[in-house]
Amino acid sequence: MTLKEIKARYKHAILGFLWIILNPLLQMLVIGFVFQFFLPVQVDNYFLFLFSGLLPWIFFSYTLTKCTPAIVYERSLIKKAKFPREVIILSIVFSNVFHLLISLFLLVVLLALMGQISLLRILLLPVAIVWIALLASGISLLATALNARFRDVNFFVQAIVPLWFYATPIVYTLDLLPKSLHSLFYLNPMTAIIEVFRFSILQIPMTQSHLWFASAAVSMGICVLGWVVFQRESKYFDDWV
Amino acid sequence: MIGCKKMVKNKDIAIQLKNITKQYVVHHEKPTFTEQLLSRSEKQVFTALDDVSLTIHKGESIGIIGPNGSGKTTLLKIIAGIATPTSGTVTVNGRVVSLIDLEAGFNPELTGEENIYLNGLIIGMRRKEIEKQFKKIVRFADIGTFIDAPLYTYSQGMKLRLGFSIAIHANPDILILDEGMAVGDEKFRQKSGERIQKFFKEGKTVLMVSHWKIVLTTYCSKFFSISKGKIKVASII
Repeated sequence: MTLKEIKARYKHAILGFLWIILNPLLQMLVIGFVFQFFLPVQVDNYFLFLFSGLLPWIFFSYTLTKCTPAIVYERSLIKKAKFPREVIILSIVFSNVFHLLISLFLLVVLLALMGQISLLRILLLPVAIVWIALLASGISLLATALNARFRDVNFFVQAIVPLWFYATPIVYTLDLLPKSLHSLFYLNPMTAIIEVFRFSILQIPMTQSHLWFASAAVSMGICVLGWVVFQRESKYFDDWV
Repeated sequence: MIGCKKMVKNKDIAIQLKNITKQYVVHHEKPTFTEQLLSRSEKQVFTALDDVSLTIHKGESIGIIGPNGSGKTTLLKIIAGIATPTSGTVTVNGRVVSLIDLEAGFNPELTGEENIYLNGLIIGMRRKEIEKQFKKIVRFADIGTFIDAPLYTYSQGMKLRLGFSIAIHANPDILILDEGMAVGDEKFRQKSGERIQKFFKEGKTVLMVSHWKIVLTTYCSKFFSISKGKIKVASII
């Protein structure tokens, strides 16, 4: 319950409502404009394809980069009050999930008006949202716990996020790559998550869904690892921040 | 029978520390992962508390006295559950509320009302409890119409008054006080002093930190002197 309450702390972020939509829209326009000349992606509407991948990606990268230094930033609270430390991280995740829901809702409404939503497929959307939220919390808990102890973890995360963007099929489809590499890409849990998002809202054919399970397993692993490390380290946050 | 006796005894105890040792790793630079990988230099360890054991019964008012760097803060942090000891066991029965840093749970962007909820939750109150106490908290803090204004518009005194008011309305079983605590103006200080006296009378457990013995002797029934991480004297006044 506390989790929900402390969300109030970040309420000013919600006021930047316009930016929730504007930011992915601008990214879509710039990336879409540039990449459609470079990449022979076989999709009907490249901008729509891009946008549906950018939304979950932006959620994921914002959450991770905001959470990683969070424990260190909130040191005044950590040093003065006893409360479950994961509240700090989960409140960021929840507020970002909220943003994701708003933009997804608008996108789905728009697509529905265009008559492009499949009612059966949309049932997968909540699965995708829960999945990405779990993955983002797990990896954020891991990164922030390590960052309390080793301050350069934050730099590492900042370096890895842009690389991760290109290692995930957001601006391209996996079809452009040799088949032998595909299974490797599914070790990146974001690959399957983005595909599930796209599959649920766009009229695209099923991709290699049997490999989605590999991504799900990796996500679960990260989630459990993050939780365990955070629980172990959180007892000593006071010593390290 | 023995087990039964033990239960009664445990109920009587507010705080029990057994062989508490707290060590900190001394950092000379920001700790980094790269450094951890590259160098295998030995860690320098500072022992803040060295094999400390103490028992505080319910209703006792305890003074803790000691110079800067003697381990007072570490001891209080361990009792409050903020820090985890390197070794030893801590037993605390009841809600601990510290009046040492009253502004810790505040967010300057939120209004007074929102901050009451935020701070209340952070010190361990339930939402319903806060709702019930809300009016009393506001009245005691005496901040009037400012309750809807964001906290950065408050004066320092108002913030402290609000913090104090939330803390005492949290209905603590164990109260941690600092002798240097001066909240607000003369009128409020008197009011808060009375309130703290009430805690003593209600038979709540009170821990008070000080540099001076005199302050403690007026309030406390017992005090510990702490120096270089060891509890030195436990004398009854």
